[in-house]
Amino acid sequence: MPDTSTGVVVIGGGSTGAGVLRDLALRGIDAILVEKGDLASGTTGRSHGLLHSGGRYCVNDEQAAIECVEEGRILRRIARSTVEDTGGYFVSVTEEDQAWEPRFAEGCRRTGITCERISVDEARRREPALSKHVRTVFWVPEDGHLDPFYLVVGNVESARRRGARVMTHTEVSGFLREGDRLTGVRIRDSKTREEGTIACQSVINATGAWAGLVARLFGVEVKVVPVKGTMVVLSRRLAHAAINRCHKPGDGDIVVPGLSVSILGTTSAKVPHPETLPIEWDEVRRMIEEGAMMLDGVTTARAMRAYAGVRPLYDLGAEAEGREMSRNFAVIDHQERDGIKGFTSIVGGKVTTFRLMAERVVDVAARYLGVSTPCTTAEVPLNDRDEPLDQLRHRPSVLGVPKPHDEEPPLQPLLCECELVRPQDVAPWFKDPAVHDLEDVRRRTRSGMGPCQAAICSYRLAARLVTDRGVDGPTATRAMADFLETRWRGVRHVFWGSQLRNMQVTTGLHMELYNVDRQLMLDPVAGTSPPPLAGEGRGGGLAQEPAEVAAQR
Amino acid sequence: MITEEFEPTTDTVEEEASVEACTKCTACNTVCPVARSTDIFRGPKALGPDMERFRSPQEAAVTPGLDLCSGCKLCEVTCPSQVSIQEYIRRAQNQGAREKGRSLRDWVLGRTRLLGKLGSMTAPLANFGNSNPLFRVLMERFVGIHRRRPLPKYQWLTFERWFRRHPRPVKPRRKVAYFYGCWVNYNDRRLGERAVAVLERNGIEVVVPRQQCCGIPAVVNSNMDLARRYGQENVRHLTPIVEEMDIVASSTSCGLMLKHDYGHLLEIPGSERLGAKTYDIMEYLWMLHEAGELDLNFETVPMRLLYHAPCHLKSHGIGYPAMRLLKLIPGVKLEEVDEGCCGISGTFGVKVEKYDLSMKIGSRLFAAVKAAGSDQVLADCETCRMQVEHGTGATSAHPLEILARAYGHG
Ligand SMILES: Cc1cc2nc3c(=O)[nH]c(=O)nc-3n(C[C@H](O)[C@H](O)[C@H](O)COP(=O)(O)OP(=O)(O)OC[C@H]3O[C@@H](n4cnc5c(N)ncnc54)[C@H](O)[C@@H]3O)c2cc1C
Repeated sequence: MPDTSTGVVVIGGGSTGAGVLRDLALRGIDAILVEKGDLASGTTGRSHGLLHSGGRYCVNDEQAAIECVEEGRILRRIARSTVEDTGGYFVSVTEEDQAWEPRFAEGCRRTGITCERISVDEARRREPALSKHVRTVFWVPEDGHLDPFYLVVGNVESARRRGARVMTHTEVSGFLREGDRLTGVRIRDSKTREEGTIACQSVINATGAWAGLVARLFGVEVKVVPVKGTMVVLSRRLAHAAINRCHKPGDGDIVVPGLSVSILGTTSAKVPHPETLPIEWDEVRRMIEEGAMMLDGVTTARAMRAYAGVRPLYDLGAEAEGREMSRNFAVIDHQERDGIKGFTSIVGGKVTTFRLMAERVVDVAARYLGVSTPCTTAEVPLNDRDEPLDQLRHRPSVLGVPKPHDEEPPLQPLLCECELVRPQDVAPWFKDPAVHDLEDVRRRTRSGMGPCQAAICSYRLAARLVTDRGVDGPTATRAMADFLETRWRGVRHVFWGSQLRNMQVTTGLHMELYNVDRQLMLDPVAGTSPPPLAGEGRGGGLAQEPAEVAAQR
Repeated sequence: MITEEFEPTTDTVEEEASVEACTKCTACNTVCPVARSTDIFRGPKALGPDMERFRSPQEAAVTPGLDLCSGCKLCEVTCPSQVSIQEYIRRAQNQGAREKGRSLRDWVLGRTRLLGKLGSMTAPLANFGNSNPLFRVLMERFVGIHRRRPLPKYQWLTFERWFRRHPRPVKPRRKVAYFYGCWVNYNDRRLGERAVAVLERNGIEVVVPRQQCCGIPAVVNSNMDLARRYGQENVRHLTPIVEEMDIVASSTSCGLMLKHDYGHLLEIPGSERLGAKTYDIMEYLWMLHEAGELDLNFETVPMRLLYHAPCHLKSHGIGYPAMRLLKLIPGVKLEEVDEGCCGISGTFGVKVEKYDLSMKIGSRLFAAVKAAGSDQVLADCETCRMQVEHGTGATSAHPLEILARAYGHG
């Protein structure tokens, strides 16, 4: 691994790290983002995808609610292609929910959240799937869907266009130091374990739930409590707006329309390590039961997979000295607190508030570097150079405007039929060195995320690995198998009904028709190992336990 | 009624079928006659269940090629998971037409009964126009009906009027109601006459209840609302009748509407009972045979015949009763062509932009028919017969006509 140097090393390729990289680039600061898996493969890619209007926090956490309101409005301006303006409902199902209503309405009023009470009939006219249990409905137009993958990729691409660099599948494994001054980081290729260094003036630790583990590499403590949440993906949109339970935030009380799917969530449980994400059957059942309280069809729709993410909850009690920017995220200036010059951490927060978090932490880092250029991320649109980030939105129309038949060109084949991904949507990513495997392609294009869970697109994508990337057959076969394997990890939690039948078709196709398992035995590829859990994105499931966790048992 | 005495052969498809049931096995695409013939059609899987995930009451998601679905329903017949592929496509077509508006042509083609009324009232004139080359060029230009597509001849005397003057048989054993459809009424009365003759020969009194167009032309011309109106009318007229007798239809598509689509596609309340009591005429006659009631005193019919099974007949899920029946007739040498869809699909192959495709779809069938050198090609569906004649120059007939002949009727 060649050694290199830069101004700032950003650790972590989630929404926070991506936002930080773009902020730095817009301020003209040279930076490299280092991510041990793929972009958005950590918590961000496993979030619920709700662009919070703030309604969920307006009673218990005013500061967070206000941040959501403001950031939501900014994101709709600067990141149009990643936001779907679904609007949202807060619905009461029980008497306790109804008792919460006055506080909710008051909270919205205080924090400036647009909110309107509408009749249940009117709500049901707009959302026919609203369950018969629903008693009262509030309409919150500023709830939305935020596509976490496009958001991260969009931020990183915007930064790259301004000279920033990214290194995916590269882990920060240590640091370089001269006295009390940080001079660089040690890096390691996550797959080959090859090592190298990046010399720099400053490091921003944006590793979310991993922030404590990374800080420990630098010899300081950041208290992050990893709190796991499980979500269940249904194969289609039952409602077109986000549906929230109107009550004290709890388990299973949000259904988010994520483009073509509905995502039920979420649970909440402390875990010993950010990579310990077992999904319990009980959680899956609970998500479905709770979702069914608000929406009809939840129990009969096809559950496609379950996945889990881990919240980077910042333990404020222990950080009384910390630079507290809000109750929800914290910027920790390690120079001030621990005497390490050039090291800053940013933890907590939400995808919705990533931009603000980036702004605050880069303010600190920039001051250290003596750069006084102000933050402009709230003004400059993400897509300022017309990159077709929103290529997958409203996909039926993407397929082209109908023409008279004699003029109609032959249809291009689709690569992923479920998510309508065309060859040209995928092609650029095969040229991107930051893209390593088919999972990385999935995060950028949604290939493999539909009801067949990659049964069909996996072999087409593997073929593109050969034609577009020049890998050999056995390697492509292995990549295909790995891709199917990561899909399988999430699907196996919802193994009933049509999903079960679908997986039997998948098995028949790949094992019996293509003989993939036999092919893998005949052509073992040297040096390959099962994909790491961190590279899994919307996967979830029980991975091998990290050694340090196992040791604690 | 015959129904009580037989195992019901109507639709036993699970009600559960939905978009979620699609396992992407692709069986539907492999049987789709349109997908096989053009690369601008994405196939039933894509336009049905795949696209359905993206459709919403708010967005029609009219995708290119959606109108190329000819409505043959082979996809649904084939689907191992009983996904209502056709219904998704039909609804999307309908919604698209509702938003964009319908062309004059599609407006007219959806109203077969109106067309029939006008055509039969002005029969000589209509037939002259329909076969006049100059007129056809204008028709293609301004209406969008392909100039080479032969159009059905209209007859002055409709089946309805003929039947009114038809004497009732004495002492019938059973009664059955005949759903003759627009075709028999306005274009092919003689088929209706034979249907009546065959039924009466077997001691069955034929009743002709008031009826409207079954609605399938409206469905395939993206006007489900109109189809539903027609359907509701039929349900109103026919429901009281099915309490006393079964209904038979001599057109496979009409029969399929009554049996299946009123309930499933058009969701007309109260249509289930009607559906359960409706039979294809050949299916009904076969049931009669199984009950030992079919008159088997056939005259020898020394003919070499080819049988083409219409797509919509396959949708009935009753096998090929016509083949079974005709094999009872001495002298008949009957073979199935089995070369797939003829391509016309009702009004589909009439349209200027679809004519070539329709002929291409039928080309395998045409070649096989030409090679077989038979006396006649049989098909239960009227437009299949038109298409086979057009594509091959052969003559064609409804299988019932052979049966009638064996009973000594022309
Ligand atoms: C179940 C759940 C649901 C949620 N739903 C929502 C929601 O609907 N809306 C919303 O706004 N927010 C939501 N959140 C919160 C939101 O997802 C997180 O706050 C946010 O994604 C955190 O982003 P991040 O960039 O800080 O962390 P991450 O996305 O986890 O990024 C950190 C990255 O650092 C990498 N990393 C770790 N160690 C190293 C190392 N040594 N070297 C290099 N890289 C390293 C990791 O691989 C990871 O990719 C949800 C969270 C959870 C858990």
